[in-house]
Amino acid sequence: MEKKEQKRHQHKHSGPKADKKNRKKEQGTEPERDERKRNPRAFSVQSAVRMAKTFHRTQDIKTKKHHIPLVDRTPLEPPPVVVVVMGPPKVGKSTLIRCLIKNYTRQKLSDICGPVTIVSGKKRRLTFIECNNDINSMIDLAKVADLVLMLIDASFGFEMETFEFLNICQVHGFPRVMGVLTHLDTFKNNKTLSKTKKRLKHRFWTEVYQGAKLFYLSGMVYGEYQTQEVKNLGRFISVMKFRPLVWRTSHPYVVADRMEDLTDPEDIRLNPKCDRTVSLYGYLRGTFLKNKCQVHIPGVGDFSVADVSFLPDPCPLPEVIKKRALNVKERLLYAPMAGVGGLVYDKDAVYIDMPSGHGSQQQEVRPTTELVQSLIGTQATLDAKMAASKVSLTCLMFSVLIVRKQNPMESREWDERAQRERRRAVFADEDDDDDDDDDGDGEQESDEEEDEEEDDEEDEDEEGVTTLKKHDKTAAETAAPPVKKQKCEVPMEMPAFADSDDELEKSEEDESEEDESEEEEENEENEEMEEGEPAKKSSGPDSGLCSEDDDEDEEEDSDTDEDGDGTVKSKMSSKHPEEENIDTDDAEMEVQNGHNLEDLAQKATEAYLRHQLAAPNLRKLVYGTVAEKEEDDSNDEEELGGLFKVNRPEKSKKVRADAMDCSRFQPDNSHDWDQEEVRSSIRDCFVTGKWEEDKDAATLLKEDEELYGDFEDLETGQVHKAKTGNKDQAEEAPQVKLDDDEVQKNKRLEKKRRLKERFDAQYDDGDATYFDDLKEEMQKQAELNRQEFEDVDDEIRVQYEGFRPGMYVRVEIPALPCEFVTNFDPHYPIILGGLGPSEGNVGYLQMRLKKHRWHNRILKTRDPLILSLGWRRFQTIPLYYIEDHNGRHRLLKYTPEHMHCGATIWGPITPQGTGFLAVQTVGGIKASFRIAATGVVLDLDKSVTIVKKLKLIGYPYKIFKNTSFIQGMFNTVLEVAKFEGASIRTVSGIKGQIKKALRTPPGAFRATFEDRLLMSDIVFLRSWYPASVPQLYNPVTSLLMPVGQKETWAGMRTLGQLKHDLGIRNKPNQDSLYKPVVRQVRHFNPLHIPKELQKALPFKNKPKQMQAKGKTPRDLQRPAVVREPHEKKVAALLDALSSVYAYKNKKARAEQHAKHKEFLKQKEKQEAERQKRMKEERKKTYRAMGQKEKKKLKSSLKGASKDN
Amino acid sequence: ILSQGTFEGCNCFRQRLVLSTLSGKRVKIRNIRSKDDNPGLRDFEASFIRLLDKVTNGTRIEINQTGTVLFYQPGLLYGGSVEHECNVQRSIGYYLEALLMLAPFMKTPLRAVLKGVTNDPTDPSVSVCPFISLSSKRRVLKRGMAPAGGGEVLFTCPVRRSMKPVHLTEPGKIKRIRGTAFSVRVSPQMANRIVDSARSILNKFIPDIYIYTDHMKGASSGKSPGFGLTLVAETVNGTFLGAEVVSTPQGQGDPVLPEDLGRNCAKLLLEEVYRGGCVDSTNQSLSLLYMTLGQQDVSKTLLGPLSPYTVEFLRHIRDFFQIMFKIEQQKPGEDEQKGGEKVLMTCVGAGYSNINKTIK
Repeated sequence: MEKKEQKRHQHKHSGPKADKKNRKKEQGTEPERDERKRNPRAFSVQSAVRMAKTFHRTQDIKTKKHHIPLVDRTPLEPPPVVVVVMGPPKVGKSTLIRCLIKNYTRQKLSDICGPVTIVSGKKRRLTFIECNNDINSMIDLAKVADLVLMLIDASFGFEMETFEFLNICQVHGFPRVMGVLTHLDTFKNNKTLSKTKKRLKHRFWTEVYQGAKLFYLSGMVYGEYQTQEVKNLGRFISVMKFRPLVWRTSHPYVVADRMEDLTDPEDIRLNPKCDRTVSLYGYLRGTFLKNKCQVHIPGVGDFSVADVSFLPDPCPLPEVIKKRALNVKERLLYAPMAGVGGLVYDKDAVYIDMPSGHGSQQQEVRPTTELVQSLIGTQATLDAKMAASKVSLTCLMFSVLIVRKQNPMESREWDERAQRERRRAVFADEDDDDDDDDDGDGEQESDEEEDEEEDDEEDEDEEGVTTLKKHDKTAAETAAPPVKKQKCEVPMEMPAFADSDDELEKSEEDESEEDESEEEEENEENEEMEEGEPAKKSSGPDSGLCSEDDDEDEEEDSDTDEDGDGTVKSKMSSKHPEEENIDTDDAEMEVQNGHNLEDLAQKATEAYLRHQLAAPNLRKLVYGTVAEKEEDDSNDEEELGGLFKVNRPEKSKKVRADAMDCSRFQPDNSHDWDQEEVRSSIRDCFVTGKWEEDKDAATLLKEDEELYGDFEDLETGQVHKAKTGNKDQAEEAPQVKLDDDEVQKNKRLEKKRRLKERFDAQYDDGDATYFDDLKEEMQKQAELNRQEFEDVDDEIRVQYEGFRPGMYVRVEIPALPCEFVTNFDPHYPIILGGLGPSEGNVGYLQMRLKKHRWHNRILKTRDPLILSLGWRRFQTIPLYYIEDHNGRHRLLKYTPEHMHCGATIWGPITPQGTGFLAVQTVGGIKASFRIAATGVVLDLDKSVTIVKKLKLIGYPYKIFKNTSFIQGMFNTVLEVAKFEGASIRTVSGIKGQIKKALRTPPGAFRATFEDRLLMSDIVFLRSWYPASVPQLYNPVTSLLMPVGQKETWAGMRTLGQLKHDLGIRNKPNQDSLYKPVVRQVRHFNPLHIPKELQKALPFKNKPKQMQAKGKTPRDLQRPAVVREPHEKKVAALLDALSSVYAYKNKKARAEQHAKHKEFLKQKEKQEAERQKRMKEERKKTYRAMGQKEKKKLKSSLKGASKDN
Repeated sequence: ILSQGTFEGCNCFRQRLVLSTLSGKRVKIRNIRSKDDNPGLRDFEASFIRLLDKVTNGTRIEINQTGTVLFYQPGLLYGGSVEHECNVQRSIGYYLEALLMLAPFMKTPLRAVLKGVTNDPTDPSVSVCPFISLSSKRRVLKRGMAPAGGGEVLFTCPVRRSMKPVHLTEPGKIKRIRGTAFSVRVSPQMANRIVDSARSILNKFIPDIYIYTDHMKGASSGKSPGFGLTLVAETVNGTFLGAEVVSTPQGQGDPVLPEDLGRNCAKLLLEEVYRGGCVDSTNQSLSLLYMTLGQQDVSKTLLGPLSPYTVEFLRHIRDFFQIMFKIEQQKPGEDEQKGGEKVLMTCVGAGYSNINKTIK
């Protein structure tokens, strides 16, 4: 492989070439500079065709490099990168993960169990997942991996798993793959080591791509890889860039790193096999996740999400830092399944996840209605319960009260190792403030609480709270004063607010003290909800309160009240702008109205009422109060005689449900378009109306003047200045100096910008292609996407755009099979793959499929096959087909080899262009290469168009000339009627047509042929029969298998397997069995030629009448001759004499021959001599003749010249 | 509280079925006019279901005996060449509005011939229906007025793989007004009278007005007499606002004078202009749907005040696609005279792609 050292070019040092070069050097000209000028012919157009070709080719190459530009949708704070460590067993996967974690976080993790998330750098987090040697896990992880560390045991070489995994990756979008060679210390010989390395590297390159990174881990030191090597590997990982993959950027997914069973333990006690409600936690990746969407959990099935909520990041990136490296506190590690997670954030509880705490917490979950139990219960129980419960308001508040009283200990839940104390007292503090301001009743309690909370804070501060927390706290503090001020002012200034509040309070006051504060918070909430509307800055509490959102918020609010966790933070941040808004509003009003308080109040009331009428909160109108209006219809049913209910069409209320379905929006008749002022209200909507400042033609002209006003006349050297600028300056002079400067600056900037725009438009237009325009458009869109909801509070933002990737979410899924919980094994990845619209449905899929070259058996139609398509793994029954030239889909019995074929399955609807792979079994390893086929989805169609060839056979039973009556092909007249006019054929190739059915026998028909049939002919009709695809869709539920048997899932067996397993053998067809060959001897009759014919035949052909010769009679037989001894002697002598004579003869002839040869030679010689002589003579004569001729010529020429 | 995918009553019947078809979610509608004297689905709704069945493949529809409960499991949108006899209780616009929502997402381009009532007072007609949409084509082959109908409309629409995000925030100023005054089986003079009266009002705003008169005769004039006017205002930014008024059907209510009709229609157009936005009130829902079904990008559209139908539609979009719109009200400025307040609708698309379309 190594390149041979090639001989270098030797420059000439002497000779003409060297001289030429030297001369050139001396002259100092660069010959390349004007090669075109110097040698124009070399650059002239030789062939127009070739030139066109080269041009096309360059353009082709150029355009091939273009990718369709996509809108950049990568999140600002991306989720951790999923690093899958893959390899056959005993290759060092766990060791590598352990080493890497140690490298990044300086912590040791004993058991790698489930995903491990760490902060690896300022902007990057990693989630390590170990892939066990199970094809299910391999498939699932290939779908979510961003980076695959492929471990290869160098002492052994590649194993099949590696190639299988690479093939899986290829199908599902190729993540980055980095090979890691381990066990290199087993090589004693250095040469074999380097050879092996090279061999493995090149093999790896052919599989991945040329130059793919392969990393070497040379050896172990105390059971760990060498620090320096691990560090280098870590560096590679931290700087790696990733490509967006189509499937992943269009589907949300979560790699769950924590699972929690929320089922009521009472239900489990009653029925241990009841369906479970489970909440799964993890970082959201891919794209936006909508609440209540459908997800697929590979290995379990499809489920609809009951609830999604986002939690504070358990493993956050460090705050913005200037210094280069992370400090120890920022190197976080989060692996709840491995029992290392520091603090765990539930939706509304914060607690430490102890290594053994998982099970115990689940056990402690109890139904919420039992109030007494909740009173007795410890804090942890309560929290867990809160997580599990949907409770009525009063009950909740009661529990809140209890919690507040007895629970100051949450602050102590602080993990030394993770350094992540996020307990926040700030919000509760602020709540109390509110209480104080609005009513004095709840003061005592809140004061107490405040003290407690403050204590907590102090504690935390002493212990060293993270920077993040501090930041939040400071933010809260800065926000606090204006809140107080505002709250003081409101009741005085805006009676509308106060009134409504009071009413609410009075009605509620009797119930409990705590209720009040709750109510206050509700009001707060309302304000918050309306904050999105700029139109309604000064609005009070809205009457319509029953929306779902509000309910949720209430719940959350009460929860936050209880234990003030992370959700509070977001809420806080949302409050600030709003309160400030109100504040500023107030201030404005004050300025406007002076000190007349009464007047102010009245005006405020009026304004408020007007607002209420004119601008109802549209968001609430649309999304909020729907349920309320549609529901209350059942009350006005009156009973008739206590038995029947009067059922009458309803007028007012039911109108909504059964109203006319019409998109017209009839105008209210408030506008009288005959009046001038009404007309003038839309005057500016027309081109004839007034234009905006920046679009008005006059202004534009003026600006142009400014832009192009100054110019210098080159001929005269005169400088023309724009007049407008001066004028402006003159006008603005009396104004404030500072302001003037600002204006001028802006103006200049604006002018510059416009000038540049003009310039760009003028000069860049030539280069701007469609591609560039598209790219720019995409960039603009990306910018808009990023900015649109940037300043919206997360709580509301998730409602608009869904949960964004990068968030840490908690997904609650009801009705999971109990096996999921009971057989839970954290070593197997749990993935929540979001499904797009209509991807949850099942239908027919047409796909292009190719059997994998390495799979050693072809696949059979109707044999069950396990496909991995989209997020799913499922078993289905494919039908293979091939498309004929006329577009017909003809069924195939087996997949062709080395060729694509079509396949139709009954399976989940998946967008076209999605790749899939097929395996025959997921349980155990039966094939040498398990991936049976790969392919892509082409089409989704609910109708199947695969057909199968069908030959109908009939026999003629009556034959007239070209017409025959045929029976046995059909059974009824009706069937025949359907095939009238169809073309038929005999085996011998006579074509015909079905004409008409006969009455008897049923199914017989009359047919005409192009020739007369024989009774022995067989007639057949070629037709196509649609094949139906079996509707089998059987998701592989490998995660539900008992622990330790998860790789043994077996679905439907193929017929062959079934027969093999049951020991059934096919009865062979008797006709295909071999039997001993028995040949009968044939007898041929003698040929008989009639006498007459015999007579006519020529003699030659006449049958010879002669009898065969019999035995010669004894008297005719001649005896053999036996010589006497004397005779023998004579004969011998004669023989000897004759041979002597022959020898002599021969000898004499040879002599004669030689003599003759000699003679011939002689003669030739003489001849040659003679020829020579003759030649000489001839030469002489010719010469003499020539001279004579010349003389003659000369003399004649002379004569002629004389004549002239 | 009803479970997901279950609805009550026949209001928003079309929205539910259309969104169900697009999202692939099955839907169940209960209590359809259950307390009415004439319970169950009406003929025009049945006809609508039949039309849906024609353009889809593999749809399952179950209706109970009385017609008060409907179960609808959508199939794949197939498209192709479709001919449908629409019920005369509603005009073709009723059916066309739904087809417009579905047509871009079919497997093969749709070519539908709809027969029935082309113009009636309740539904928008073909000429007003869809100005914002794609390169679809609509043509009135025959005009048929209510009550007897007899009209024919050709509608073709190409298919798309995915929708681009919509940015219609600047409606621009109206540069011209076009319109058609039509009359069938009445005196052709009616159309001229309508034109005159309409122009008398609109001329005060803009001079560039042209109203065509269209009098259809013979076979293409349908079975009932009537006349009407459609007006369309076009802005410099290429957005359209439409208005339409049709005479009351024969034998239903008082007959109207063509002059009154022309004036009413002009005023209706002014009303639309007053409401403003980039899309007129009848097409709000369509534009919102296209925003929803776009890629996962931010789309923005400026609308006039939301019609009740649109509000229902927004709720249904949330039910079917889990998409909420950010609704911002824009108050008109002090000195500008551009009609009433506008609503800026913003949403992030669902990342919808046409999974019906075949790739080759």
